[in-house]
Amino acid sequence: MTIGGPRGRSPRLQMPCLRKMEKMIVSMQDPDMGIKMRNQRLLITVIPHAMTGNDIVEWLIQKYGISEEESLHLGNLIVKHGYIYPLRDPRNLVLRADESPYRFQTPYFWTSTKWPATELDYAIYLAKKNIRKQGDLIEHEKDNYNLLHKRINHTWDFVVMQAREQLRAAKQRRKGDRIVIDCQEQAYWLVNRPPPGAPSVLEQGPERRNSHTTRVQLTKNMDYYKREIEYCRKAMARTRVKSSICLEGNPWITDDTTYWAMNAPTVPTPTKLRVERWGFNFSELLMDPLGRAQLLEFLKKEFSAENLSFWEACEELRYGEQSRIDEIVDSIYQQFLAPGATRWVNIDSKTMERTLEGIKTPHRYVMDDAQMHIYMLMKKDSYPRFLKSDLYKNLLAEAIIPPETKKQRVFPFMRKQRHSSPSPALLLPAGDSEERSKSPAAAPVPEEES
Amino acid sequence: MVKEECKALLDALNKVTACYRHMVLTIGGTSDSQNLREELKKTRQKAQELAVANRNKLTAVLKDKTVSKEDKAEFERLWVIFSTCLEILEIDMRRALELGHEFPLNVPKKHLIQTGMSGGTSGVAARAMSVQNMKYEAEHNIDVVDLKDLENEINQVGEMMYEMEMKVNVPQWTVEAKQDPGAELKSTISVGASSIGMISVEENKSFCDISKVLAGIIFSAVLIIAIVLAVCVVKLS
Repeated sequence: MTIGGPRGRSPRLQMPCLRKMEKMIVSMQDPDMGIKMRNQRLLITVIPHAMTGNDIVEWLIQKYGISEEESLHLGNLIVKHGYIYPLRDPRNLVLRADESPYRFQTPYFWTSTKWPATELDYAIYLAKKNIRKQGDLIEHEKDNYNLLHKRINHTWDFVVMQAREQLRAAKQRRKGDRIVIDCQEQAYWLVNRPPPGAPSVLEQGPERRNSHTTRVQLTKNMDYYKREIEYCRKAMARTRVKSSICLEGNPWITDDTTYWAMNAPTVPTPTKLRVERWGFNFSELLMDPLGRAQLLEFLKKEFSAENLSFWEACEELRYGEQSRIDEIVDSIYQQFLAPGATRWVNIDSKTMERTLEGIKTPHRYVMDDAQMHIYMLMKKDSYPRFLKSDLYKNLLAEAIIPPETKKQRVFPFMRKQRHSSPSPALLLPAGDSEERSKSPAAAPVPEEES
Repeated sequence: MVKEECKALLDALNKVTACYRHMVLTIGGTSDSQNLREELKKTRQKAQELAVANRNKLTAVLKDKTVSKEDKAEFERLWVIFSTCLEILEIDMRRALELGHEFPLNVPKKHLIQTGMSGGTSGVAARAMSVQNMKYEAEHNIDVVDLKDLENEINQVGEMMYEMEMKVNVPQWTVEAKQDPGAELKSTISVGASSIGMISVEENKSFCDISKVLAGIIFSAVLIIAIVLAVCVVKLS
């Protein structure tokens, strides 16, 4: 059984464009309003239900009242998606507006995102073709055959058995039907496993797989609106306000720039919150310039400062100027990677090999593997030690807690509560009285919290 | 021999699955008919019986501790073949259900797709049921009535597969195929050379002009006659 078999599969939907095409195909079958069928004459057999490209184009023009160019384009789309296949040049899925014959594809073989073509079926098809053509497969089919033999090796015996049986079952049918079935299968696999280089009709762009975009709610019934109302209600109850509690007062409101001064990138004494933040994770420490400087100090004591310098140099390479790449790569190599370098970094041999290979053709990301290795090394090794070190503990002890500024109070008896203001939409149902009582008090005093 | 019996059962299931697939292909096309729906019903019921028989036999063997290692490997291989076969059967049954809903037969407004098929599938069904001729005895609205049964049977098969997965522990990746790539070519005698030849000829010259072929034949005939006459003239003179 394949993993994620029928029970594990999430319900798939048919792509909307395919559903529309199916409707169109069904309307073409109408005995009165549909396309007129002709007979296809092969050497001995006569097969019914063939139509010319011209017929298709004419019918589309008549049915939808469109121009010939548009009709040709539409017909081309239908042929590309495998709902109609050409009889004369079967490998070329193109609609020609002339006497070339076409035929409808059987519903089982209609292109479907609901029933995608499986590897197993493809393998069975290739095995059947192999038997029929005595080993004379097309190049890419041979490659696929070998690939599948490796990939689904455990069921290969089944593939061979099933291929033989399907051919035997087909022999029970009339000659004409057998030919039709072969053509149908060939067209199906041309659409679902196009030869290399041919555009695949089933390729969906990166955003298309999202079920929310493909599910089109056409009938807006009660359930739909109920869901929408529920969703909007929940969204209103969420507070959209981000609280930015500044103990020193928000500079934008109080015109007091203490907050910025205290949290500047390089300041002799950092705030306690900032120092505590370095303990959250390694990237917090590294991204803060003050933290990075402290880490460097610590590493110097441990004699592994070259790790951090190497990491910084790699960052410079990644985000630096294109023109300087060769220069930077060279300097990194000389300083950190060359055997006998002054600040040699300890990278494992495999990564070193790969990096040295990459240096021959330098680009922005050659040092990525090595940089990641050193980053993880610092994170797992030096970072925990840093957090336990005396240096860090001293920093924590010395960090200042900024005092709360005394704000001018116009009404000294009014208590300022620190909370984010509720969504105004929620105030409305409570009535206007609440609003009126709030407004005169709120106006002269500036809002403390944002 | 237990192995031979298992193999025979598996071959039978394989045959019925192939026939079923063949018949599901024709739903919705012009050779779709009440007979086809009845054939589908009978075939899948037979397939289910065979599946149950296979499962019982194979689980009995796999649970048996007295089986030798090579035999066990062989039975595991058969088990993997069996579960894949069942998987294909289930997918085909689901598609048959969907297509059955899409293409009901007695509704005048809904038209069948003109796929170019004109013959029936009775031969295929007879092969599946291992009988000489098929007898048709169902009512004329089997296409609608049968869908409910089909749904139930799909659920049954689904449950059976779930049970199988839970109870029998055969990791698929440990099974190696016995056949090399291209093995199917070695025993193609049974497939029949004549039909292959005709099909490939048809494919190569799928829509050749009859008049051109006739002209070619006439030309070559005239040429041969001319050569023969010339030779006669040379010999006689």
